Amino acid sequence: MSELIAEKKALSTILEKFPFLEGKIDVQRRQRIISSPMERPLFEEVFSFVVTDGGFNCFHLVIGVDDGENLGFIYVLSNQDKVMLLLKQSAPKSNPAIKSVCATFPNALWHERELVDLFGTIVEELPEGPTYPLPDGWPAGNYPLRKEWKVEYFDKINMTYNPPATVGKEEE
Amino acid sequence: MAKSLFEKAIDWGRRKSPWIIHFNAGACNGCDIEVVDAITPRFDVERFGLMLKGTPRHADVLVCTGAVTLQTRDRLKRIYEQMPDPKFVIAVGTCACSGGIFDGCYCVAGGIDAVIPVNVYVPGCAARPEAIIDAVVKLLTALENMQKGTPAAPVDDNVADVSALEEIENAVTEASAAAVHSDNQPADSATTGSQGGEE
Amino acid sequence: MAKNVVIPIGPQHPSLKEPACFTITLEGEKVVNAVVGTGYNHRGLEKACEARSYLQDIYIIERVCGICSHIHSTTFCQSVEELAGVEIPRRAAYIRTLMAELERLHSHLLWLGIAGHEVGFDTLLMYSWRDRELVLDILAMLGGNRVNYGINTLGGVRRDVTPEQIEKIRKVVDIVEERNKYYVQLALSETTLAARLGGIGKLSHDDAIKFGAVGPVSRAAEVADDIRVTDPYSAYDEVPVTAITDNHADVFGRTVVRVLEIMESVKMIRFCLDNLPDGDIAVKVPRKIPEGEAFVRTEAPRGEDAHYVRSNGTDKPDRVRVRAASEANWHGMKHMLEGDYLADVPIIIAAIDPCYSCTDRAIVLDNHDTGKQSVIDWRTLREYSINWYKARGIDTGKIKIADSHLIF
Repeated sequence: MSELIAEKKALSTILEKFPFLEGKIDVQRRQRIISSPMERPLFEEVFSFVVTDGGFNCFHLVIGVDDGENLGFIYVLSNQDKVMLLLKQSAPKSNPAIKSVCATFPNALWHERELVDLFGTIVEELPEGPTYPLPDGWPAGNYPLRKEWKVEYFDKINMTYNPPATVGKEEE
Repeated sequence: MAKSLFEKAIDWGRRKSPWIIHFNAGACNGCDIEVVDAITPRFDVERFGLMLKGTPRHADVLVCTGAVTLQTRDRLKRIYEQMPDPKFVIAVGTCACSGGIFDGCYCVAGGIDAVIPVNVYVPGCAARPEAIIDAVVKLLTALENMQKGTPAAPVDDNVADVSALEEIENAVTEASAAAVHSDNQPADSATTGSQGGEE
Repeated sequence: MAKNVVIPIGPQHPSLKEPACFTITLEGEKVVNAVVGTGYNHRGLEKACEARSYLQDIYIIERVCGICSHIHSTTFCQSVEELAGVEIPRRAAYIRTLMAELERLHSHLLWLGIAGHEVGFDTLLMYSWRDRELVLDILAMLGGNRVNYGINTLGGVRRDVTPEQIEKIRKVVDIVEERNKYYVQLALSETTLAARLGGIGKLSHDDAIKFGAVGPVSRAAEVADDIRVTDPYSAYDEVPVTAITDNHADVFGRTVVRVLEIMESVKMIRFCLDNLPDGDIAVKVPRKIPEGEAFVRTEAPRGEDAHYVRSNGTDKPDRVRVRAASEANWHGMKHMLEGDYLADVPIIIAAIDPCYSCTDRAIVLDNHDTGKQSVIDWRTLREYSINWYKARGIDTGKIKIADSHLIF
C-alpha cells in the first residue's frame, strides 16, 4: 500500500479541482481509482476535466449496470502511468439520457450502441449507424440487460416479449 | 434397376469428393478451429476427397458449428437453401447439437436442428478433429449404402441416427429422379427407421 | 462521373472465424469506406452469467472465445478472487501463467497460418498448423481438452503438473522453438512476404492510441502496452516479460511482433517450468462472494482482455462485463482499410486476428450523383467490363460464354 504514488497523484489532481468529491472518489487498489455514481451535469464536468487536464486520455470501455432505480454507466479511462479511472455516471431509468463521448473517443461508439440496445439508454449525439449487438427484428422496448427483463418471458421464435398478465409491456 | 453409366458417375463423384462449406452460426470458435484443424496435415480429412469451399452454391455438405443466434438464424436458412440438392448437414459440437451451454440465452435459438434438418451430430466441446473425421466417414458410408440400395446398417446411433439416413435416402432419390426423369430407385423398400423428429 | 461500387461481404465467408458483415465501398480498387457489421455472435452471455453461480460462470466465460479460452477464465477468476479477498497459491499462479503462454503459442501459430492463407501462402498455413498440433497436445495433456481446457477454478487451478508432464512440455517447446526460428527468418527476411504485407493496414502510433488498439496491433505501432508488464497478474511479477514492439505500424509489423512473441513465450514457459514452486494448487473460495466490484485486465494473445464483475453478496454475480481484445481492435478497422486496395482487405482484417475473405454475388452500384443504389447482375457487369476494356482498345467481347454459365 505504500507505493501508490501515481494513483495518489492522479487522485489529488482531481480532488484539487473538485474538493467536494472527497470520499466519493478513491484509490481502490494498485492502478485503480474508482468513483461513486454522479448525476449528469457534474459527471460531464468531471469527465471533461479528467480527459483534458487530468491526463486520462485513453478510453477503454463503458460498462452499463442496472442499479434498480437508476442505470449506471462506468467509464474506464487510463493515463500515462496506466492508472485506470472508473468514473461512474447515473441516470434515472425513467429517462436514461446521457451524452455521447464519441467526439472525443471514437472507440466508444460500439460500447455506446451496446448501451442503447441492451439497457435502453438514450445516448445523445451518437453517430448514426447500425444497431449493435441485438439481432434485426428485435422488438422495440426490450432491453435484455435490465434486471426486470426475464429471459423466460421472451418468445424467441416470434421475437416477442410476453410477461405474465399483470404488468404489460406490449409487444411490437 | 440398373443405373446408367451417367448416374453411376454422379454417385461416384458424390461419394468420393464431397465439397464442404463451413458456417459459424454463433460458436465460440473452438469447434471452428477444430474443423479447420481437420484439414491440416495431422488429420488431413482431404484424403477422403473432402474439400473446403467458399460458397454454398458449390457445396454438398454444410458443416455447421455453434448454437444458432437469432441474427444468424435467417442467414443459416438462406445458406442452406442456396446449396444444391442433395445436401447434407453436419452439426459439429455440443452447441450445434442442442444449444449446449448457451441454450436458454436470450439470443440463442437453439441447436442447428432448430432451423435446418441435420444429418449427422458430432457432440463434444469442442468436437475433436477425430470425431469430425468419423462423422464424415459415417456420412459417406451411409451415402454409399444408400446408393447401392443396401439397408443402412453400420451406423452408430451416437453420431448419425436413422432419420438422418432417411433424409439422405430421400435426397438421393429425388436427385436421381430429377437427373434422369425416371423413378427406378429401390429406396422405399429398404426403410425401416422412425419418421423424422429426432430428439 | 465517379461510380463507387459497394461490395457487401458476409456474414458467411469462406474463412475461418465468426460471421461478420462488411460493406466495402470502392472507388476503382481503392477502399473509400468500410462499414463493419457484427452482432451475429451475440448470444447474451452476460445475462446468462447473472443467472448462474460463480463456479458455473467460469465455464460460460471460457466459451466467450474458443481460442483465448484460458485467458478469459483467468480474468474472470481473478476478478472473483479479488472480490473474495483470496490470494491464490504461487504454484497455481505459475500453472496459470504456463497455460496462458502455451495458449499464446497456439494462438499465434494459428494466426500465422491464417495470415499465410490470406496472402495465398497456404504452405505456411499447413506448416504452422502442423506445429500448433504439438502445442495442442500439451494443452490437452495438462487440461484434458484440446480447446477449452477448463483448468481454472476459483482459488487456483484444477489440475497439477507432474514431473513427467514437465519433461514432455520441454521437448515440445524445444521443437516449437526450433521451427519458429524458421518463421522468424521468414517474417524478417522473406522479400515476397515483406512486399505483400508491408505498407498495408497502416495504423500509426497516435491512431493506435486514439482508436484504443490493443495487443500486437498497438505494439506494432510502438505502443509499449503489455498488461503483463504494466499490470502484472498471475506469476508475471516474477516471470521476466519483454514487451515486443515494432515500428512498422502495418500488417508486416504485426507479423513480426507475433512471431517474436512466440520466442518470448517459449522463454517464459521454460522459466515457469524451471521455477515452478511447490505447494497447493488451489485454496477454498466461499460460495457467496462479498459485495463489491472488480475490474481486471489481462493480456490475451490478441491484446488487453478486461472483465468487470460486480457482486451483491449472493452466490451469483450482479453484473459481468467482458471486453475481449478483438472488440477493441475493431474500432480502428475502418481507418486501416480506407485507402488500401480490395485485394488487401482480407489480410488487413485478418491482421487484427479475426478474419474473412470473400466476395458476394451481387454488386451494388452507388451512384454519387443521385445517391440511389441499384443491384446489377453478372451479365450487366460483364458487359460493363467489356465496354470498359473496349474503351481502352482491348476487345474482350469476342470471348463467348454460353448463356447457361451466366446464370447464378
